[in-house]
Amino acid sequence: MQFNWGKRKPHCHIRGPFCHREAETRDRAIDELLEFIWNLRENGVSDVADLQREASDPEARNILSYMEQEGLFAREGDKVYLREKGEEKAREIIRRHRLTERLLMEIFELSEEEAEKEACKLEHILSPEVTDSVCTFLGHPPVCPHGKPIPPGKCCTAPEKSVKPLVMPLNDLDPGAEGRIVFISTNFPARLDKLSALGVAPGSIIKVRQKKPSPIIQVGETTVAVDPEIIHDIYVKAV
Amino acid sequence: MRKRGKNRGMESKDINRKSTKKIILVGNPNVGKSVVFNYLTGKYVVVSNYPGTTVEVSHGTTKWRGKNITVLDTPGVNSLLPTSEDEIVTRNILLNEKDALIVQVADAKNLRRSLLISSQLSEMGLPFLLVLNMEDEARERGIKINYQELYSLTDARVISTVATQKKNLEKITEELGDLREATLNISYPPALEEAISQIAEFLPEENISPRSIAIMLLSGDKSLKRWLHARLPESRINEIEAIRRSCQAGFDQPISYLINQVRLEKVDEIVRLVTMIKPIKRKRLSTRIGELSVHPFWGVVILIGVVYLLYQVIGVFGAGVAVDFMEKTVFGEYINPFFMRWTGRLVPMAWLRDLLVGQYGLLTMAMTYAFALILPIITFFFIAFGLMEDSGYLPRLAVMSNKIFRLIGLNGKAILPMILGLGCATMATLTTRILESKRDRIIVTLLLALGVPCSAQMAVIFGMLSGFSPMMVVLWAGVVGLVLAVVGYLAARYLPGESSDFVLELPPIRLPRIGNILIKTLSRIEWYLKEAVPLFALSTFILFIMDKTGILINIEKGASPLIKGVLGLPVETTQAFLIGFLRRDYGAAGLLALARAHTLSAEQILVALVTMTLFVPCLANFLVIVKERGWKIGAAISGFILTVAFTVGGLLNLILKITGFKI
Repeated sequence: MQFNWGKRKPHCHIRGPFCHREAETRDRAIDELLEFIWNLRENGVSDVADLQREASDPEARNILSYMEQEGLFAREGDKVYLREKGEEKAREIIRRHRLTERLLMEIFELSEEEAEKEACKLEHILSPEVTDSVCTFLGHPPVCPHGKPIPPGKCCTAPEKSVKPLVMPLNDLDPGAEGRIVFISTNFPARLDKLSALGVAPGSIIKVRQKKPSPIIQVGETTVAVDPEIIHDIYVKAV
Repeated sequence: MRKRGKNRGMESKDINRKSTKKIILVGNPNVGKSVVFNYLTGKYVVVSNYPGTTVEVSHGTTKWRGKNITVLDTPGVNSLLPTSEDEIVTRNILLNEKDALIVQVADAKNLRRSLLISSQLSEMGLPFLLVLNMEDEARERGIKINYQELYSLTDARVISTVATQKKNLEKITEELGDLREATLNISYPPALEEAISQIAEFLPEENISPRSIAIMLLSGDKSLKRWLHARLPESRINEIEAIRRSCQAGFDQPISYLINQVRLEKVDEIVRLVTMIKPIKRKRLSTRIGELSVHPFWGVVILIGVVYLLYQVIGVFGAGVAVDFMEKTVFGEYINPFFMRWTGRLVPMAWLRDLLVGQYGLLTMAMTYAFALILPIITFFFIAFGLMEDSGYLPRLAVMSNKIFRLIGLNGKAILPMILGLGCATMATLTTRILESKRDRIIVTLLLALGVPCSAQMAVIFGMLSGFSPMMVVLWAGVVGLVLAVVGYLAARYLPGESSDFVLELPPIRLPRIGNILIKTLSRIEWYLKEAVPLFALSTFILFIMDKTGILINIEKGASPLIKGVLGLPVETTQAFLIGFLRRDYGAAGLLALARAHTLSAEQILVALVTMTLFVPCLANFLVIVKERGWKIGAAISGFILTVAFTVGGLLNLILKITGFKI
């Protein structure tokens, strides 16, 4: 299967060649093509010509006609548009891809290239539950790291109580609210030792008393003033 | 004063020889350890540095079973796996003191952190008595501890006290006879346990268990290096390091952090079983005050109020009224004339008379300086400092100023020596010890020596500036402030070493106890007398020699082209600068005399004052820098300051001349 790449196709909306080596199965190929149509639409174009250029080899064209039969998309003159079934499917793929990018780049601090590569793999295999957990973990982000919108999922519109992100930097916790420390990310072992000797360690219930002029955190009866970077490095789950 | 200090020292030595056992107090900071210590030891207290460090350890004696026995008060610790110099000292005391009776003083309302220390004592195999202090504060917060349950879970002897009210303190000595090892032992994940036992096998039997030392080594504790090298061959040490590395390779997180987490888990389990918390809704007044003192707006208001009070007490009363009285009346009218009279009668040699009571006399200059000028200032400073410390305001002051100091790469703790610097830079340099990293200490020492005018100098400077327009004050403060900020910023950027994290525990706001403050102030004054006074004597002596050998005059001659050419000042000011090195305020006073005689223009006065403020520290300050930081850094700092002072003064002169600016 051969894909052609237009030149106006940077990062997240249209992916690097890595994706396509992975897209071996028919399902994956369908995913890729749906994603392609979605991205075309976002860029304000929906030309059949573009799609045909994208799927130029016989195998890909085969898949394209299969998709049309299945009612995933339709043509109208020289334009393509997603039908309800395809729209739903494409939406989910885009959502998984962009959420994964955010997770990998922001939380795991992967490079853009690596994050892109992994997101291409994960967009095909993440279950809806995991996707919603990632979304909640990230605090229901509205856009991907490149500023493209992430289609909202069920979790984003759920009642107030469950909308709260599961894990967030302590800095995002409202002053006075309590959270349970999930992990502390830092590159300075000495800082971890110092904090844990004060009882600031995973499992502890913590709250931020104030953020300015200097953050003050409280664990039990221990009150500690810290540098602002430190409360960005402590990840908590609201309780 | 000095005599009494000496007697105290001798007394404690005698007791050391007689006693077979010691009582060692350990515990977290701010748990009332020193109150318990003062109760046990009464008046006879010696504060000394732990050998090879700048950390203070207090010694005293108490009666136990009819015998005098030494009591050691160790620095507060949060962990016995040391992360600071204080913690190293406490750990080393436990490592080295054999057969000591250990009393862990703990905060009853913070059982979690207390037990974290207990678990480490237990791991060391040391029997100890757990004193849960501040039981009243715990009760106020609705925290109830089941002591019976705690005892049965841990086997540790536990008593509850309110040290400030002397409640139950008598039980400490009663219980000491019956100490036993607690069973708060913790088992770690198998991979760690295996490494621990492998390392422990290499270690000799010591005062504390090989297991506990193995845990420290596995955690990557570098402070044990010397201890290790004295006991094991190089190959063994390498083997231990290899075990540590391969063990660490199996975990993502640092081993020390894993170990702390396992300990906390175990401790949390016990805390859950033995405490009952009835949340109390009502906010206490002290909590409210504590919150206001770090509030973005009210905190600043309180800060300004406190600084103003400090200025009134230390600057106006201490450095003004008290110094005047000591210098003019006590020394000027009684002590110095008395010495002069008697040396005049008893000492026939003129040079010796000069050495004792001359212009640079050990009695007339060094002693007057140390006792009449500095002692009153630092006495009031120490009282104010003690009040801020015991009330819990001090760390909050650091919180308020953290942001400003971060701009120049330091953290809020740096404000404490800086404030003292406005009293006496020599003393302030000694207190840079409260900063954690060596780099921070050097930067603050540099800034203190460079541009923080001491109270004596400030008084003369303000005296001189008062005759001119406020513009003069603004320009002077502006230039000096700018130089401080730029030098601080550059030093923080280019000095090697990491800046230390700002992680500062805030104790609750409490009403300070006067008795405790007086004891602290006295022991600090004793420290000042021991550390700083000999330096004043030495610097006076150097001056005396330079004066007698004619070096002083030669330096004066050599320096005048610099003064005249670069700074555009008359040659007569050279002497003022030279004396400024010996005593900052005398230098400024020399300028004042010239200004009064109208030999200087307003612009020249500005240049002279800026240069004088930035000029090298006084001799005593220089010697303290050398003592604390070593010759190399002392010389580097002085050379740097000299260059900066003359460059800035020269530039200022040039700018004023070119622009034809008139003040």
